[in-house]
Amino acid sequence: MANITGWTGSLLRVNLTTGNIKTEDTMKYKDLVGGAGFGYKIIFDEVPQGTKAFDEANKVVIAVGPLTGTTAPCSGRTNITSLSPTNPYHAIADSHMGGNFGAWLKFAGYDGIIIEGESTKPVWLKIEDDNISIEDASDLWGKGTIDTTYAINEIMGKEACIAAIGPAGEQMKNLASIVNSVNHSAGGHGGILGAKKLKAIGVKGTNAVHIAEGKAQDWLDLNEYMMKDIIGSNNNHVVPSTPQPWAEYHNSKSRWTAQLGLFWGAANPPVETGECAAGDKNKVGLRTQKAIFDLGPLAEDRTIKMGGCYSCPIRCQSNMYMPELEKYGLTPYATSTCINYSSPNTAMIKGYADGEKKGMDSLITKCLGSRLADDYGIWSNYGQLPRDFRYAYNSGKFKEVLPKEEYDSINWDLVESGDPGWMVEYYGNLIKGGEFGHLLDGPYWLDQRWNLGEEYWNSYGNNLWSKMAYPKHHSNESGAQVGALVNVIFNRDANSHTHMNMIGAGLPIEILKEVAGEVWGSPDALDAPMNYTPMNEYKAKFAKWSLDRNFLHDSITLCNWVWPMTVSPSKERNYRGDTALEAKFFSLATGIETSEEEMNLAAERISTMHRAACVKEMNTIDMRNEHDTIPEWVFEADPDVKPFTEGTVKLDRDDMQLGLTLLYREYGWDEKTGAPTRATLERLGLKDVADELEALNLLP
Amino acid sequence: MFEREIEDFIEKIRTRREFLKMSGKGIAGVTVATSVLNLMGCSQAEPSGNEESPEVEAFVIPTGLLVVEPNKCTGCQRCEMVCTVANDQKIHPLISRVKISRNFNYGKEMTENYRYENGYFGNFLMTPETCRQCEDAKCAEACPKNAISQNETTKAWTVDESLCVGCGACSDACPWNMPTVDPETGKSTKCILCGACADNCITGALQIIPWEKMEAIFRRKGYRFS
Repeated sequence: MANITGWTGSLLRVNLTTGNIKTEDTMKYKDLVGGAGFGYKIIFDEVPQGTKAFDEANKVVIAVGPLTGTTAPCSGRTNITSLSPTNPYHAIADSHMGGNFGAWLKFAGYDGIIIEGESTKPVWLKIEDDNISIEDASDLWGKGTIDTTYAINEIMGKEACIAAIGPAGEQMKNLASIVNSVNHSAGGHGGILGAKKLKAIGVKGTNAVHIAEGKAQDWLDLNEYMMKDIIGSNNNHVVPSTPQPWAEYHNSKSRWTAQLGLFWGAANPPVETGECAAGDKNKVGLRTQKAIFDLGPLAEDRTIKMGGCYSCPIRCQSNMYMPELEKYGLTPYATSTCINYSSPNTAMIKGYADGEKKGMDSLITKCLGSRLADDYGIWSNYGQLPRDFRYAYNSGKFKEVLPKEEYDSINWDLVESGDPGWMVEYYGNLIKGGEFGHLLDGPYWLDQRWNLGEEYWNSYGNNLWSKMAYPKHHSNESGAQVGALVNVIFNRDANSHTHMNMIGAGLPIEILKEVAGEVWGSPDALDAPMNYTPMNEYKAKFAKWSLDRNFLHDSITLCNWVWPMTVSPSKERNYRGDTALEAKFFSLATGIETSEEEMNLAAERISTMHRAACVKEMNTIDMRNEHDTIPEWVFEADPDVKPFTEGTVKLDRDDMQLGLTLLYREYGWDEKTGAPTRATLERLGLKDVADELEALNLLP
Repeated sequence: MFEREIEDFIEKIRTRREFLKMSGKGIAGVTVATSVLNLMGCSQAEPSGNEESPEVEAFVIPTGLLVVEPNKCTGCQRCEMVCTVANDQKIHPLISRVKISRNFNYGKEMTENYRYENGYFGNFLMTPETCRQCEDAKCAEACPKNAISQNETTKAWTVDESLCVGCGACSDACPWNMPTVDPETGKSTKCILCGACADNCITGALQIIPWEKMEAIFRRKGYRFS
């Protein structure tokens, strides 16, 4: 057999208690692909049942996959797996960041880092090829992520990529992130690095990422095919947002916003996005003017360009020129995307004073807030943090729970008057160490502390999905039962765009239903929006496929905000995408010829590994009742309307129980409890996992 | 002035095209004036007052004019990756013949004022650096083994791996440190004008304007190649 490529073959294990550093063979985990797959297995195997997130016994696995660093489009992700401090059971979760870190880790020669133990004093980890050392971080403790990064770049050189925690992580806040390359942040595990006193990891290396021998031209051909015929725009929207001479369809909700007269207005000179016809690979990066999508129409003139992750042609991060930020002691530049802009905006619960130009204060707030959140290393829990703030404010909870001195010290006038300066006050108070900062505990622990009540959990607008304490993320509004089933499986927000991007691709529903029929066996897998039909087995197949591709992408690694390529912008292809692309790239990256079916099986293995870890950590097999719960608001929306009536996303209780049964059936999990069976675990090559669960009396 | 710039430019191209057919002499990159770039649809801004002109670089290469427009560069670094897949069957920014990763974070120089200067930690601007294929190539001059010579067909300064000993003199001699010794092979790598970087640029920040297209543009505007 030819050399296996794609993986470097080395995992780095760093024990912060003993200072011991060693490498291990990656290949014992290769059936779990990489990233999250590695993380789930390693945590399952090595972290004892009953361990809490901030315990010394917890470990953090930072890992990438065989596509990381290869040029595969949208492969710039890094996966971080550990116990989740926001979860009531401290059950497993993975967080993810883009940027350069993952590729740089590969260049240093590693598929992942296992961090274990905890240091007694602040340290940072320096990785330069084979030279690994644990360095003193006393001078870095207390710094924001930007200053930390700069200080380490001064030592390692300007090319090194640094992942760091900010004050939120140092203070072991549950909602803390790990940040690399300014604003690429992974939410939820920053506090664990804080508990281990690990401030940052700097990495650079000279090892190339190899693809299969003799396959360079095949690789370039596959890249060309994807870039010309398959890839769409942000979130794989495959039609333009406005009518275009070249386009058969358009859809105003599409993020393919490029058009004549739309610019990156602060570029010097301005760059017109223009018409970016399907097939033109040299304009893929111009297709999405994301600033106007995230920040509103005023953002066009402030847009320097679109940024994004290493290797990604879909540029989803807007880089902004914002001189207004200098008033707050920041530079006139800001960058981020999606939730990191919307989360600060949502914290302005009284709206904006909006003086000279409507929308300008919102723009300033979003840019200011995103900069502060990234520098402090604060995670918004997919936008739940500001909703928790709103709930506590509107319910009068702050007056009840904050000590009077603390309450009086907060400049509430800023939020009352709609002043963007509230961002400085809000984020500053979150990390100041007072009671207000318990907002960073996350919903479950916040409720335990502040006794928030049933309405907090059950109101539609508060968006909380389950007692696992995370918010909905493309749930019943996205494919009805399909989105709901995707949302029940995780221990954090579902973070799955597999289903959403196909549903929202922008194509007419008739075409999407045809594609659904080809991929999941029947057009009935997909309903027209707001016109949902009862559960059927094809929706269960769609839900499972969505989950599996999400788990695969977090392992291989690819960006699930864009992948999979279920549809394409190509009229010549009748808008059909290519769902075998992951397998094709994997085959060329590793030299292991792998079919789509084999790739699907690997994905199913990772999904089930996640499930098994969850069963172990929750110490129950009754996942249906203890874990896979659906919030009341899903069933109680539109009180005067019955489920399956056109115009509502309201679901039916019995129908969703059937949905769970059909999903479990697709996975071969126990239909009564939703726990993996021995037969299924063994079918997936996870006999040792079955043995461990049996020893713990956790097999159904 | 405008007319003169364009005439000069056309004269250089004409000379170079003839040269391509008949001669083995150098094919140095040319400085291309703003007016010429504007004519070809590139977005080079006219500098105003005392402002420095934004950096736009253009190089005459065998297949056309290679234009680098930093205002369009989004820092995806795919130019580097495709370069190394095409030329080395593997991926690493270090050995890429077009360079951007090394100035991604803080620009070409890292200073205390980094938050206001080029790079992702500053004003987000980054410049793809390309080999100039200099007429008097310092890399070739410095090579102790005469391993760098000009390819007869492409006119690119090219490393003969069988002669290269990986000493790095080429990199040190190049004013922009463009050649790089591959740590895995111990051989120097440098641009051979394959064009993969521009061909795969996702925004046209790197683009090769083919001679045929340029000729058509100039004819349409009333200029003529002799």
